[in-house]
Amino acid sequence: MTDANTPAIACRNLWQVFGQGADKALTDALSRSGNDADKAASDLREHGFIPAVQDANFDVKEGELFVIMGLSGSGKSTLIRCISQLLPGTGGEIRVDGENVVGASKKTLTDLRRKKLGMVFQHFGLFPHMTVAENVAYPLRVQGVGKKERLARAQEVISLVGLDGREDSFPRQLSGGQRQRVGIARSLAVNPDIWFLDEPFSALDPLIRRQLQDEFLRIQATLKKSIVFITHDIQEALKLADRIAIMRDGKIVQIGTPTDIVLRPVDDYVREFSKDVAKGQHAKVASVMRDESERGPDDPGLTTSMTLDAALAHCMELYEPVPVRDEAGNIVGTVHPSDLAAALQVEET
Amino acid sequence: MTAVTDIPAQSDLRLTVGAKAALITVVVGALCLALESVAPWLVKWPAAWELPATQWVGAFLDWFLNGIKPAMRLFSDLMAYPMNWANFLLGSTPWPILIGLVTALGWYLGGLPMAALGFFGLCFVLASGYWAESMNTLALVAVSVPVALTVGGTIGILANEVPRVKSFVQAVLDIMQTVPTFAYLTPLLLLFGFGPVVGLIASAIYAAPPMARNVMLGLERVEPEIKEAAIMSGGTRFQQLFQVEIPAAATQIMVGVNQCLMAALSMVIIAAVIGGFNDIGWEVLLTMRKAQFGESLMAGLVIVVFAVVIDRMSGTLATERKQYDRRVVWAVLGFTALFTAAFWAWLPNPSELTLLDPVAEAVDSGLTAFTQANGPWLDALKNNSLFYVLLPLRIGLDQAVLPFTWGFQWTSGMSYGLFAFGGAVAGLMAWRGQLTAGLVILTLIGMLETGISNLPWPFVLTAVGALSYVAGGWRLAALSVGLLCTILVSGLWERALLSLYLSGAAVFTCAVVGGLIGLASAVWSPVWKVVRPICDMLQTIPLFVFLIPVLMVFQIGEFSAFLAICAYAIVPMIRYTRHGLVNTPDEMMEAAISSGATEWQIMRDVRAPYAAPTILLGLNQTILYAFAMLVIAALIGTTGLGQSIYLALGQADVGLGISAGAAMAILALIADRIVQGFAEEQRKALGL
Repeated sequence: MTDANTPAIACRNLWQVFGQGADKALTDALSRSGNDADKAASDLREHGFIPAVQDANFDVKEGELFVIMGLSGSGKSTLIRCISQLLPGTGGEIRVDGENVVGASKKTLTDLRRKKLGMVFQHFGLFPHMTVAENVAYPLRVQGVGKKERLARAQEVISLVGLDGREDSFPRQLSGGQRQRVGIARSLAVNPDIWFLDEPFSALDPLIRRQLQDEFLRIQATLKKSIVFITHDIQEALKLADRIAIMRDGKIVQIGTPTDIVLRPVDDYVREFSKDVAKGQHAKVASVMRDESERGPDDPGLTTSMTLDAALAHCMELYEPVPVRDEAGNIVGTVHPSDLAAALQVEET
Repeated sequence: MTAVTDIPAQSDLRLTVGAKAALITVVVGALCLALESVAPWLVKWPAAWELPATQWVGAFLDWFLNGIKPAMRLFSDLMAYPMNWANFLLGSTPWPILIGLVTALGWYLGGLPMAALGFFGLCFVLASGYWAESMNTLALVAVSVPVALTVGGTIGILANEVPRVKSFVQAVLDIMQTVPTFAYLTPLLLLFGFGPVVGLIASAIYAAPPMARNVMLGLERVEPEIKEAAIMSGGTRFQQLFQVEIPAAATQIMVGVNQCLMAALSMVIIAAVIGGFNDIGWEVLLTMRKAQFGESLMAGLVIVVFAVVIDRMSGTLATERKQYDRRVVWAVLGFTALFTAAFWAWLPNPSELTLLDPVAEAVDSGLTAFTQANGPWLDALKNNSLFYVLLPLRIGLDQAVLPFTWGFQWTSGMSYGLFAFGGAVAGLMAWRGQLTAGLVILTLIGMLETGISNLPWPFVLTAVGALSYVAGGWRLAALSVGLLCTILVSGLWERALLSLYLSGAAVFTCAVVGGLIGLASAVWSPVWKVVRPICDMLQTIPLFVFLIPVLMVFQIGEFSAFLAICAYAIVPMIRYTRHGLVNTPDEMMEAAISSGATEWQIMRDVRAPYAAPTILLGLNQTILYAFAMLVIAALIGTTGLGQSIYLALGQADVGLGISAGAAMAILALIADRIVQGFAEEQRKALGL
């Protein structure tokens, strides 16, 4: 059933509407508006319903780190709860490894969660009456894994997140950063294929946040999970994501790579986000590279994966086009230093 | 200047809701007074119009109870087994072992302070000579509490799992809270006959709701993310509930256990009224009836000791606990066993211990000396309160003012004068833009002249309806008036007014005195240091025990009942007032201080308004407490519904008992809803 091309998660026309009798209201609204999502949403609002997620469509590929970004109230937490089926979903389809989970039986969902899914919560969601080790081992305990075995596995993941020695502490005895490490360890205990993270670092101090982000990237580099990651922080999104979906008022307004988001925002809303971002740190040389062969005499040694900032630093004194090489050292294109400067230009406000 | 005077002029034209309601009330009241001589049925609901509701209720309940009697008798027979076991176990265990067990338990739960509390508490019980009676009481509690915990816990979990059950359960629990304790007893008496099982079942019924409430609350308050984490871990609903949610709610559930224990103890002691069981509550009642106050005080203190020990020890369950050294537990138990074995032959029979008899006698003689020495003063206090406060409230100035007490005879001229004065005050206040307040004052003056028990029923219905309307809109007004009408036609009206008068007087006193103490505690912390332990103590003492000291000093009568009610009902008023005033957010205080407000201005303009909803909730609790105590106080002489419930119990008259209980519950319910309505309004106005 699954092959390399099946996305880990596929959402099609996913809706989450809140209110009494939302299912019927959504069907009605869609038929009235002729399946126009925007019209249906405003129709629902007029009738006192809250369309928290409107017609979401996206795929998360195997091993991809997919970030959903939006301000509070934009529906991103609702969306991740739809995908993880903590909320039933009012309409549409969610395929996990090709299998539709909307309307699936309780047993199917429980099995899915036991084998394939892991989730990390913003406020950690640790069980206050269990020790660190018991918390981490809990997903194994509900499956009936023996005590010795599950504690051994818990020990592995606890080491992975760097909490050795705190196994017997209770959550209340840990700092915020340590608590989230426990949350991460617990979500990894069953070695899930799909990993949901709901604003995992938002409740932490900036320093701890950066530290955990780096460790998260390190863990992901070895585990290669398919990830849905929620955040309200554009810097965090750009730093971590393979692709980013930006949400506003329940709608996904743009899906793209970090470079796309920064350099090619689809509307003012997205532009507003990327305004504060130091573009040069995120956009890569590849994004301004031209397929030309006329170049000047200088070769400052640009590569495709260099950030614009770094590239600009190399071309400070140059005005003529320069060559760009790929990782192997082959020349693959040309960059005009003026393009670098133009791409980095801060918009006038 | 003109702008300022313009505003009241405008509000004169467009009356506020409150002013309209007050105006209607005044008009109806005036009409009733004017027509009093022409149409006496306006004042007193004619007996011919009464429906024999109590008989109907009685007949129906008789039929119903007889129907379920066989099943209940079977249940009662079944319950007799564990009760006999508990009795046997507690009764035949040598006292040193029990003391050792409680001390060890105290250590395990709360270290040295709790161990000492348990040890000295039980030693006191032993020395008092009431050991056997106490063990009988304890046996009842020991059986009823597990029943109550199981039933309450199951109901709480069910309500949490099935949303449709939840609102129903909540409504039933709300009503159960307002039904007076004695009212439970009468139908149970019919079902189970006289005997300890009635007390057992009554206390299980009475103690289950707090457990159910706290289980529901605890499960509701488990962080959503913890619940989600359990789901995402792949737990089944059963696993989520029992492995995660219930343990995570443990603290709140333990609060439920604590309240359940206290309720059970309180009810077991109240149930002594029906007798049939040689327990400590019965001992209090017996000595009280024989006017052996020294002994009844001792017995009362034994109850208080039990209450304190049980409350404080189970209270530690609800707080974060330290681990105390287990070896001490074993050492205590080992020492106990050795002690018991070594001195087996010399252990005194606890029933023959009379170590505290001299104390009881001293109390008795001291009391006699005290009342003799202070007789005139105490009598003056009692009589003055009765003649100048309670009696006018009850039957009105027009009947209470007599040459014998006040030194002159009330005339109708004086009535007119009083009304004219009230009218003048109302007019003056209306002119100053406070029409509503003026009308309320006029109404209160009218009530004082007539007396609460003589209030015309149309006036009461209108006034309560108007108040309900202002507090909670049409629906509440309709509910209040409808419920009051059922009392009116059932023939319990006069008694209901008497209950209203006594609890009203007590609530008013509590509100003023308790409010002032709360205020003092809030602004001056040394006061709170003194007041707090007293409040803790008053809330731990079972209702019953409040009767002893007032009875000792003031004998049987309405004034004693009034004092007992006040002593019990004042606590929430003090607590909530202080809590509300102290918990003003720091930012608001700082804003006021930096604006240059004085201490007094801060209190008046910032802290008091902010605390108002909390204080209203305190008032609400005070009202409910007063009603609860009113029925108990019937034991020492009150009139009204409480007395009816008590009499019904004596005569096993289910119809009267249930009807009077329901009437009481109705009064409590209406008062509760009205005050809650005002509190809600205030909260909304503050945006809380």
